[in-house]
Amino acid sequence: MLKLTQNEWMKLWSRKSSWIMIILLALILLASAAITKWVDNSMDMNNTESWQEVETNEMIYNQSMLEDNSLSEAQREFYEGEVAISEHRLENDLPPYEYDSMQQGVIDSHIMMSVVTLFTVIIAGGIVAAEFSQGTIKMLLTRPVKRWKILTSKYIATMLYAILLAIVLFIVTAIAGLIFYGISDGTFLTWNGSEVVEGSFWLEGLKLLALSFASVWIIGTFAFMLGTVFRSSSLAIGLSIFLMFTGIQAVFLLANYEIVKYYLFTHTDLTQYYTGFMPVEDITMTMSVIVLIVYFIIFMAISYLTFSKRDVTA
Amino acid sequence: MNEQALVQIKNLSKTIGSKRIIKNLNLDLYKGQITGFLGPNGAGKTTTIRMMVGLMKPSEGDVLIDGKSVKHNFEESIEKVGVIVENPEMYKYMSGYKNLLHFSRMHKGISKKRIDEVVHQVGMKNRINEKVGSYSLGMRQRLGLAQALLHDPKFLILDEPTNGLDPAGIREFRLYLQKIARENGVAVFVSSHLLSEIELLCDRIAIIQNGELIDIKNVKELQQSRFLFKVEPLAEAEEILTGIGFPVSQFEGGLLVETEAEHVPGAVKILVNANISIFAVQPFKATLEDQFLEMTGGGDIAQAHSK
Repeated sequence: MLKLTQNEWMKLWSRKSSWIMIILLALILLASAAITKWVDNSMDMNNTESWQEVETNEMIYNQSMLEDNSLSEAQREFYEGEVAISEHRLENDLPPYEYDSMQQGVIDSHIMMSVVTLFTVIIAGGIVAAEFSQGTIKMLLTRPVKRWKILTSKYIATMLYAILLAIVLFIVTAIAGLIFYGISDGTFLTWNGSEVVEGSFWLEGLKLLALSFASVWIIGTFAFMLGTVFRSSSLAIGLSIFLMFTGIQAVFLLANYEIVKYYLFTHTDLTQYYTGFMPVEDITMTMSVIVLIVYFIIFMAISYLTFSKRDVTA
Repeated sequence: MNEQALVQIKNLSKTIGSKRIIKNLNLDLYKGQITGFLGPNGAGKTTTIRMMVGLMKPSEGDVLIDGKSVKHNFEESIEKVGVIVENPEMYKYMSGYKNLLHFSRMHKGISKKRIDEVVHQVGMKNRINEKVGSYSLGMRQRLGLAQALLHDPKFLILDEPTNGLDPAGIREFRLYLQKIARENGVAVFVSSHLLSEIELLCDRIAIIQNGELIDIKNVKELQQSRFLFKVEPLAEAEEILTGIGFPVSQFEGGLLVETEAEHVPGAVKILVNANISIFAVQPFKATLEDQFLEMTGGGDIAQAHSK
């Protein structure tokens, strides 16, 4: 299996597109940091509020959210934590990071994960389909290796590439922050359920990045399945990207029906349990993880069945 | 052929939809022997070969390679097979060497040295580090042969291998295949529509039509000795020759006699004594093409099925 994965990895890096996507990701991150900085500079004149005023306003808003009785447990905890943190900051004179600081950039790096998803989908949708369109599938399947092993090696290579993209995202975000924003004097505070403690912004950023990787993983797997079933990379990539955008919108349409709880895109964003933005309220992290795993098993089963049963006539 | 067959095709059938594309094919292939696989377009050559290498699943029957079933024991059986299916499609964006490295990793125990050896064998040493995209068709065929030989297979299956080779390339390819068949005892199975090529290359020919194996012949048998007698009067001469036991048939205003050269003077003497005028006696060699067309009834393309 190691040798097969090595093969897939070699083929992946022999194509220019894999390099281009990494470079493009880095450029997008650097450019967006530069633009944010530039917009900031031109608006800074009007911004005279002190951090204490901002924090107070936020605290009042979060307190008002807590009065809503329909909040889910996760959301209630989130707002309680936010209020506690704000109180702690004002009492002890601990300013937060400015939003245009390197540290805040690292914490928010997961916001750009949609780019990683997009590039992962391009690789995932093409990695099997390309063998068919190039005709190399005949060479690949007439070897003393069972088909499921070949498919597995392709899946592993795809996911390794996705992980690499996420790592690049994290590192380049930090570098872009250093170049364009600079280091803030603020502190990172977090609510551990009972008290406010100081935390590491690196760990917070990594945690959110790992959580949002769930969406890269499941949408990548979906594209992988489509590429395997339809043997057409453009169909697989196009359909996956289309569903990625419309799928999340559909969560809002379905929000009032029971079925939304079993719908994939309700659960793809695991960071919702930490950022307080939950379109469907009565779901839990455990439930999301279970739903994602069930979808994963279905996608993989379809991929393996079609790939190992198919008569190759291309 | 007393020895055990290396490859046994047993009752191989393939049904797609309601159409039986391959019907109960049985064929044995032996060590050191090159068997040609001939048939009109759409007869089922490619389908048969794809079932032999595991690209398609047989509806019925099985293929045994060195006793191992392709159906039930895929990894062990296919280990001994080198395959070139139609045009050898390679990864164009990688060098020839990386392509070979890629395929070598899918077999057990192929060293870098072995790769170099094969590269040398197929005469690709100078271009092996260039991208396959820059290769000519002939070079891709060589690389295709190289990937099929990497693991020193006991059995080589080639589907239309000489497509795109120039005459010199075809000749070299033929001599090479004959050499490895003879020296390494490799069984070779070649499908082709180039009849003259098959005739030069193969020891034995299997002919398929409409999914059925209609004949298996040794090439030597096909090249049996016959003589064309141009004589007058025809009917009388035929009577005399048949009378003394020669198999005779009329052919293009003469008589076609199946016999060895040593019997020809005797036959001539008898005809002369019987006052038959002899205009010419010449050795007659029907080409494989004539025989092939004869056997397949003009080589009509079988009813089309989706490929």
